[in-house]
Amino acid sequence: MTIHNLYIFSKNGTLLYYAEWNRLNKSGITKAEEAKLMYGMLFSIKSFVSKISPLDPKEGFLYYKTSKYTLHYFETPSGLKFVLNTDNVTQNARELLQQLYREVYLEYVVKNPLCQLNEPIQSELFKLKVDELFKKSPLFLSRSI
Amino acid sequence: MRQQITDIKINSHTSGEADECLFEYLHSEMVNYALNKSCKNKEGEEELSRLEWMGFSVGYRIIERLTREWNRFKDELDMIKFICTDFWSSLYHKQIDNLRTNHHGVYVLQDNSFRLLNKVGANSNKQYLQESPRLLAFTCGLLRGSLANLGIISTVNAEISTLPSCKFHVQVQRI
Repeated sequence: MTIHNLYIFSKNGTLLYYAEWNRLNKSGITKAEEAKLMYGMLFSIKSFVSKISPLDPKEGFLYYKTSKYTLHYFETPSGLKFVLNTDNVTQNARELLQQLYREVYLEYVVKNPLCQLNEPIQSELFKLKVDELFKKSPLFLSRSI
Repeated sequence: MRQQITDIKINSHTSGEADECLFEYLHSEMVNYALNKSCKNKEGEEELSRLEWMGFSVGYRIIERLTREWNRFKDELDMIKFICTDFWSSLYHKQIDNLRTNHHGVYVLQDNSFRLLNKVGANSNKQYLQESPRLLAFTCGLLRGSLANLGIISTVNAEISTLPSCKFHVQVQRI
């Protein structure tokens, strides 16, 4: 089980935070461009899912899976978006994202008076805690593919 | 020190997440407000006296309530000890970690994980060190105000060397 990378987007699509752990294939474009592409795709998937759903889509888009990786998506009621790429055998990534939101984002960004909301996160303590949370998670077993 | 402040103890047990963070959010907005209102002075230092004054009035009032179940204090050190233990734990949910004094009116109160700083930075992390003194001005006033109501006129300064620990220097003014 491996975690590849993490994006956090604000309500209006700003990339707040990006981190990667085991990413072998680089996209070849700048991080800012990549983030825009990612956000655009997520935005489209979200509206597609809600339009095409035959029943009331309660939580909407949750994840997608390719032959190589799975993208997990978690959106808070306030519009904050957490995106996590893992391999295909990983489970409970959603809980990990909720934990990230509850225990790291809320504590070290929202409760830090020196952090501006909706701007890229600069806090070193936040970065440290994200890394800590992921590395101690059972989903994080770095393994070369 | 035998008597307990019963209602404060009960409050701190039942207090959930919400009422704790309300103070934190309000405090950070007060800091922002005070900084917006004042222009920087000549040396480029931030003008924090308004914040300190707010803390003073809050501390002056709060001490009435916190000490209502207490006997009179023996001496100055007794009062400072009260500040370090019950006062601090009712406000910041922990006690002062270290108290030092030279027995001539200087007290140094050290908190190794000050509640208003522990979300900002951790050890060996120099980020935000510049900005964090503004988060202590209110508490300095709080200390000065509560000591003033107990009959000690003092000046209180704060010092941060590594986040999230800080020291409050209380200098008692003898007349």
